[in-house]
Amino acid sequence: MLDQPRLRIAVLAALGRNPVSGAARPNPDDLLALDIALQLSSDVTLLHVGTDTETALGDYFAYGAINLLVVPAGPDIAAQLAERLSGYDLILTGTRSEGGQGSGMVPYLVAEQRGLPIVAQALDLSIANGHVEITQSLPKGQRRHVRVSLPAVVAIHPKAPAKPRYAFARRAHGRLLQVPSSGAAPATVSAWRTEPAIKRPVKFKAAETKSGHARMLSAVATDAKGGAVISSGTPAEKAQAILFYLREHKLIDW
Amino acid sequence: MTSPAKRLNTRRPFHVTPQGLKRIILGEIGAAGTLQHFAAHHETAPKPLRLTQAPTNHILVIAHTDRGGFDAQAQQAIAAAALLARADAAVAVLVLGSLTDDLTTLGADSIFVAPDCESGLFNPDLELAIATDIIGKLNPLHILLPDNAIGDGDLGRRLAARLGADAAAHVVELKADALATHWQGGATLARRTLPRILLLDPETTDTALAFRGVGETLDYAAAETPASAYAHLGTPAIDTAKLALEEADFIVSAGNGVTDVPTLQAVADAFGAAVGASRVAVDDGKFARDKQIGATGKTVTANVYLAIGISGAVQHLQGIRACRHVIAINTDASAPIAKRADLTIVDDAQQIMEQLLHATRGRNFTAADQEA
Ligand SMILES: Cc1cc2nc3c(=O)[nH]c(=O)nc-3n(C[C@H](O)[C@H](O)[C@H](O)COP(=O)(O)OP(=O)(O)OC[C@H]3O[C@@H](n4cnc5c(N)ncnc54)[C@H](O)[C@@H]3O)c2cc1C
Ligand SMILES: Nc1ncnc2c1ncn2[C@@H]1O[C@H](COP(=O)(O)O)[C@@H](O)[C@H]1O
Repeated sequence: MLDQPRLRIAVLAALGRNPVSGAARPNPDDLLALDIALQLSSDVTLLHVGTDTETALGDYFAYGAINLLVVPAGPDIAAQLAERLSGYDLILTGTRSEGGQGSGMVPYLVAEQRGLPIVAQALDLSIANGHVEITQSLPKGQRRHVRVSLPAVVAIHPKAPAKPRYAFARRAHGRLLQVPSSGAAPATVSAWRTEPAIKRPVKFKAAETKSGHARMLSAVATDAKGGAVISSGTPAEKAQAILFYLREHKLIDW
Repeated sequence: MTSPAKRLNTRRPFHVTPQGLKRIILGEIGAAGTLQHFAAHHETAPKPLRLTQAPTNHILVIAHTDRGGFDAQAQQAIAAAALLARADAAVAVLVLGSLTDDLTTLGADSIFVAPDCESGLFNPDLELAIATDIIGKLNPLHILLPDNAIGDGDLGRRLAARLGADAAAHVVELKADALATHWQGGATLARRTLPRILLLDPETTDTALAFRGVGETLDYAAAETPASAYAHLGTPAIDTAKLALEEADFIVSAGNGVTDVPTLQAVADAFGAAVGASRVAVDDGKFARDKQIGATGKTVTANVYLAIGISGAVQHLQGIRACRHVIAINTDASAPIAKRADLTIVDDAQQIMEQLLHATRGRNFTAADQEA
């Protein structure tokens, strides 16, 4: 069934975080990526930047992974991943990591550093003669079909219809390979300061420079504009007025 | 009998200041000022320009339009840029797609339009080329994009990777000199100073501004279309009627004024729209509970909301705040929905629905069929 029996796939696997207990677990998006990868090929390698002592990594084996490469964390996760990613036809990632910053930047940085095309929001993919065809998820239930040439990076959408299955017996059969540390330690200074997320975010607003009088006026005034009101004419004409409005704003195309 | 209490003349003379304030000058004798002038002043007073000097730097906003207009999140990004901009910085907007909206109320000073980049199309290389070209010309201090799934979140991350720029994604809180985003699935709030590229989540900014932008549309010669590794294969048509209400682009919604539910369903089918309802219509058993829109129902983001026989109670309006075009059909021209609606038709719902069906019935026939 496979066009390329020896399709080499790398799956980037981050650590997730159980939202209730806070315990580490496989990143849900990356499990979807792993499941899709296993359907496409038998040559699948997982890559993780972090520490190999993390027991949650073993769960990736229970979900079907066989090879897991762990790279000790250095100052730049994306650069470390990119360094190890030569020779793969397809690199699958998740959309957002649940355990860390969750910025969704890693797949793009990896693609840029390796000079590969990247397609995000992928629901479904198929391989055909050196290309990968992808169905993307867009808002409002829309779908889009796109194609890129291999090798490529594809980020899987959280709603991809894959069903990863957990089998405890597989946990013991995976091969975890620890890559020796390159020496550089994770950066200790960061631009970020963290705190528990307790308060609701505050909206960015124009500073209030108005006089008390002007403030009162704007509080009293209803900013509801109210549009056109059509009360005369026959029902047929009024129906046409609705259609005219819809056409004028390109909301219907007939 | 005259009371000894001192009485004030209620029609004392006053005059109106340029700010529209009514001022009484004690001791002055004269006729009462014209109240008309006082009232008219506030409606027409244009907001002042924010940018009063030649700009020395820029803040750039990049976003896709849909059928000529920006959605709420993109509008918030433009307003955020206007609030961030210092007195000597201009707000530039790179519009990917066509543009019909007025952007001055959002504080946009210079506008570049790239009409070939409609949001449905997949053309990341062209968009990246245009964006890097403009960034090269303006060298903006900050670049803001809405972090959405219609292409801006994707383009922002591509830009950050290409430029090797500092970036913050999923920004939930913004201040003049700092921002915050959620880490660890929302358990941690992380703050930092403003990086070069900011991808803003929805609802970060209040779009009510005290000033306006210059809004000058600048000529922009599009960059050469680069050879692309990507191919767009098309967007399949979807059965809109089967979509969940939250995802629908066109909603036909019924209230207490609708008695004929099958006709309403037919109107929705004619437009390929999803059906919604007010609470009263749901309570009457005309619609299932999952169709209810409003404070205790669903919040919808449709482009078009056709409200038939709905009075527009605040609890209902809360659910349609993000809808762009609201059209109401109501027998009562003074119903609150008329204040929210862009177009209000005052007539009986059943009759208008019949006429709408009649007018749309021919749309599946070709012109030749109709002549025959
Ligand atoms: C705590 C709370 C929560 C609520 N949450 C919600 C909510 O989530 N969603 C919601 O919708 N409501 C909600 N409500 C109810 C809300 O306050 C209103 O009662 C309700 O929205 C009114 O529904 P309506 O407009 O269909 O009915 P009505 O108020 O009865 O309005 C019917 C309208 O139809 C017009 N009409 C009558 N006959 C015709 C005709 N033949 N042709 C055309 N027009 C006609 C009338 O002029 C009138 O404007 C809530 C109320 C409370 C107290
Ligand atoms: N430490 C990591 N090791 C391996 N893959 C990662 C790591 N961090 C992020 N990724 C990948 O990048 C995707 C997006 O992560 P992020 O950019 O952190 O939101 C994840 O779904 C993973 O596929």
